[in-house]
Amino acid sequence: MPCYIELKNISQSFQTNDTKVTLFEDLNLTMSRGKSYAITGPSGAGKSSLLMLISGLEQATSGIGSYVNGEQKQSLSELRSDIGFIFQQFHLLPELTALNNVALPLKLRGDKTALAKAKHWLEKVGLQHRLDHKPSELSGGEQQRVAIARALVFEPKFIFADEPTGNLDQNSANEIADILFTCCQENNAGLVVVTHSEALAERAQHRFSLAEGQLCLQENKLLKVASC
Amino acid sequence: MSARKQAIKGGVMLINNSKLAWHFYQQEYRSPHQRLLRWTQGILLLFIITLGQTSESIQSYLNDNLQSLLGADAVLSQATALTSKQQNELTAITNNLVQIQEVKTTLTHEEQWQRTKLKAVDAQYPLQGQLLTSTSLNDKETATFSGPKQGHIWLDARLLAGLSINIGDYLQIANQTFLVARILHHEPDRLMEGHNVDMRAMINSRDITSLGFAPDLIHYRYLIAATDSQIETLITWQQENLPAAQVHHKQGNHPLALFWKRTENFMGLASILLFFMAAIAINQLTQVHIKKDQYFSAICMSLGATKSTGIQVSMLKWLFGLLLIIPIVLALSAISHWLIINWINETFAELTWQWHLTSMASSILAVAIIFAIFHAPVWLSLRNNSVAKLFTGNQGGVSHWLGKLSSLVVLAVVVISYSDNALLTLMMITAIAFTIVIMIVISWSSLTLGEKLCQNFSGLIPFSLFMMKQRLVSKSTQILGVGLSAFLLLFTLMLMKDLGATMASYQRQHDGNIIVSQATKPQMDFIEHWAEQHSIDIRQAKPFMYAKLIAVNKQSLAELSNKPSDSLATFSRAIRLHWSEAVPKNNAVVNGQWWQNDSQNWQQISLEEEVMTDLGLALGDWLTFFIGQQQVELKIVASHVFKPGAGSITFWVQMPPAALAHIQSAHYSMASIELTQQQQALLPALWQKFPTLRMVSLKEVTKRFDSMLAMITKVISGFSLMIIILASVVILASINALESQEKKKNSIIMSFGFTRKTCLKLNIIEWLVTANVTAIGAILGTYFAGVLIYQSQFSLTYQPDFIWLFATLAIILSVVTSLGIYASRHSLQSSVKQLMSDT
Repeated sequence: MPCYIELKNISQSFQTNDTKVTLFEDLNLTMSRGKSYAITGPSGAGKSSLLMLISGLEQATSGIGSYVNGEQKQSLSELRSDIGFIFQQFHLLPELTALNNVALPLKLRGDKTALAKAKHWLEKVGLQHRLDHKPSELSGGEQQRVAIARALVFEPKFIFADEPTGNLDQNSANEIADILFTCCQENNAGLVVVTHSEALAERAQHRFSLAEGQLCLQENKLLKVASC
Repeated sequence: MSARKQAIKGGVMLINNSKLAWHFYQQEYRSPHQRLLRWTQGILLLFIITLGQTSESIQSYLNDNLQSLLGADAVLSQATALTSKQQNELTAITNNLVQIQEVKTTLTHEEQWQRTKLKAVDAQYPLQGQLLTSTSLNDKETATFSGPKQGHIWLDARLLAGLSINIGDYLQIANQTFLVARILHHEPDRLMEGHNVDMRAMINSRDITSLGFAPDLIHYRYLIAATDSQIETLITWQQENLPAAQVHHKQGNHPLALFWKRTENFMGLASILLFFMAAIAINQLTQVHIKKDQYFSAICMSLGATKSTGIQVSMLKWLFGLLLIIPIVLALSAISHWLIINWINETFAELTWQWHLTSMASSILAVAIIFAIFHAPVWLSLRNNSVAKLFTGNQGGVSHWLGKLSSLVVLAVVVISYSDNALLTLMMITAIAFTIVIMIVISWSSLTLGEKLCQNFSGLIPFSLFMMKQRLVSKSTQILGVGLSAFLLLFTLMLMKDLGATMASYQRQHDGNIIVSQATKPQMDFIEHWAEQHSIDIRQAKPFMYAKLIAVNKQSLAELSNKPSDSLATFSRAIRLHWSEAVPKNNAVVNGQWWQNDSQNWQQISLEEEVMTDLGLALGDWLTFFIGQQQVELKIVASHVFKPGAGSITFWVQMPPAALAHIQSAHYSMASIELTQQQQALLPALWQKFPTLRMVSLKEVTKRFDSMLAMITKVISGFSLMIIILASVVILASINALESQEKKKNSIIMSFGFTRKTCLKLNIIEWLVTANVTAIGAILGTYFAGVLIYQSQFSLTYQPDFIWLFATLAIILSVVTSLGIYASRHSLQSSVKQLMSDT
């Protein structure tokens, strides 16, 4: 069953005082469930804004964005319940344990097996020994693993990650990248990563470069998949 | 480096830091945490400065007033006339004195009657000052140099109207006829009457002898012209020879001083409540201030600044905030002070608006120090944390608890220094402590239980309970803040409503519609006969004698306590001493043991419990009373309280009947009588026969109550308004303290694919849970406070009207919930984008 996000002739601009700033113009893009995508580019190019547009959290100045799920073609705002986010700053709730942080989206959805599922996901990301630890008691890498488990626990169709390894050292960044790509693939979730890291971008099946308002598809030399 | 260079460097640093602090103060000026801090500090400063100014105005008024309105250099007053020996001794000290006799009587004219203070003056009156009279209502007042001639009576204008009588008419008192000759406008010695509003009449002292009033009904006053040294001799002579007499002199205290001091202290208790709320609000705001100032300090330190720079900037920023609200507060205080002065002009005639700079400065300084201590946790956290901890935001540790402890110490000092009525203060503090404990227990148990019970259920309610339980500490602080505000507001409103209702229903509940507050033996015998004759119901009749307390355990009353209290104020006059073999039906013994029947040990008394607490007395203490012409020592063997349902006449001090054989003094009775509307017409005849019979109709009592109620209502309404504003500030402060956490939580929830509507629903549920926990806490706290305080402090039986209580609470809480949800709207303006940009 086809499940993808489609952007057609999308432009984004904003007004500052008397100046109109255009981030990008006439972008065309399709992103499918189960595939991985990386968006790179210099700071200020509009990567995060593009991520917001793709995830349906922001409206484009012009153009059409749609979410195709099976036979249905809907606007991007309908995508909301099928997506998860991973942030550079992890954004875990400090007063909750790792287990409760992961169980949070399931509890909100009224899932009675929330804690069991959360435990399973924490085991998957290798944190079975840190279930009852609060974020302040975890390292940066461990916090990001909790965040990945939290983003995937409710089985979203797409995951959007904004600089997921930006706050981590090289070793931790590699580990997180392994977990992120593998888990998304195993879960058949589409993964859209915005990053400055060449190493991370190269792991994606499709890599886009955003510069001066233009999005260019680049060939990836390396595709590495590990088991999670 | 030389000391001079160091001083210059320090000065330059201070100027630089001041500039920096001013810049950041301006940056933060409109942010909610600064705005709320301004409101809290402003309200409290306004209250304290206005109270200070009003108090100072009244104190200086009383001093000036005493100088000009005593009508003499010294005044000696007592219940009996001086014996000729005493008169000779007094004349040896100073021979310039005037004798005044006063008797409370009821004057009648045709169908009208008026309770009056009848004053008999001799030929030397007035001694000092002006006696102003006129011959008709429209005439100008003129100074008169002597009192009325024999057979003449002068009436004040209200009495003239009250009796429907005119100048030139004749008035009958106890079968004697008097010509109404002049209108009495001003007596130079009126000050001694203090704040009473009795109607006044004046006759010649030779007439009072022929009226034949019993000597014990007459109050004697001697106006004395004396030098300072003569006054000192007079006081020594009085203490040795007339211990039960009172002396007022120009160097002493105004008769109203004690009354005002007590009023002031009662307002002090009210201000304690306001301080409590301000402490809660500032405590909530401190969390935000700590976070902001820690971050700023960390940046400064990471750029090479010293730790003291961060602390100095934070202190200066706080100081700027305080200094800038002072002009506005002063303007508002001046207006409030003016309004209050106008309002209390009835009690303190000719009181004028004045601004007292010293009082203003001391009020501002005292409150500023208290605010600084409340705010100290911010500075302590900057001092005790490293750069790394300042960056991550560390709010715990020793400094946090030290700050809390110092706030509690400050509150304790405020409580102790303002405490007038120790028992009431203790009860109020106990009630507040009980409410705090109850709310902590309820929030912890309900959230724990709620979370456990809901574990197997799905949906937003279980989720909210789960989240609240996880954030128990911060939520509990919020609940406590809101709950205490609701409790204080509810209690104040309940007290206002119940005092009003009690006074309004006094007519219906009271046993009898005529109260005889003092009847001599022949008068009471006649009343009993008269009642039987006219089928009038005497509901209660109890005997008593007058006794003046002069010492406790051989220590004179003046040395006993420097603090004014209700009990001490009453004991400065003669009180009614009752005797009874058994415990009266409307009393219950709470401590010690009542005397056995026919006990021969007559030197025993039972004292009202509140009086015992107020004066710090204990069972076994010896009280010395001056009764008749003798000193009597009685030992406290029991304490009793009023028990409703068996009549309202009760006595503070009671002794065994066996004591009567040892005490020679006039016996009186108090009684309550029920008269029908038709039987009211019989009263003038009764008063005509016994003009000195102290009897008051309930109509008069309720009239007095009404004016008192109107005053209480005004005071409590003003106070409630203060509490409402502060309660709103507490709620807003508690929301502001948690706003960043809430914002983040909402953004994260939205990143799971939920909408803003879900966040709003969660917010509503959280506020409803908060409102309910605070509701239960406030209701239980109010109930507890009612049980503790009502009977003991206001002689009201506490019968909570739960419908009213819940309805009022429902209104308060819906306002709280709405305000909470409305004020939380900022935290709903969150988005996933903010999480992304938060790097």
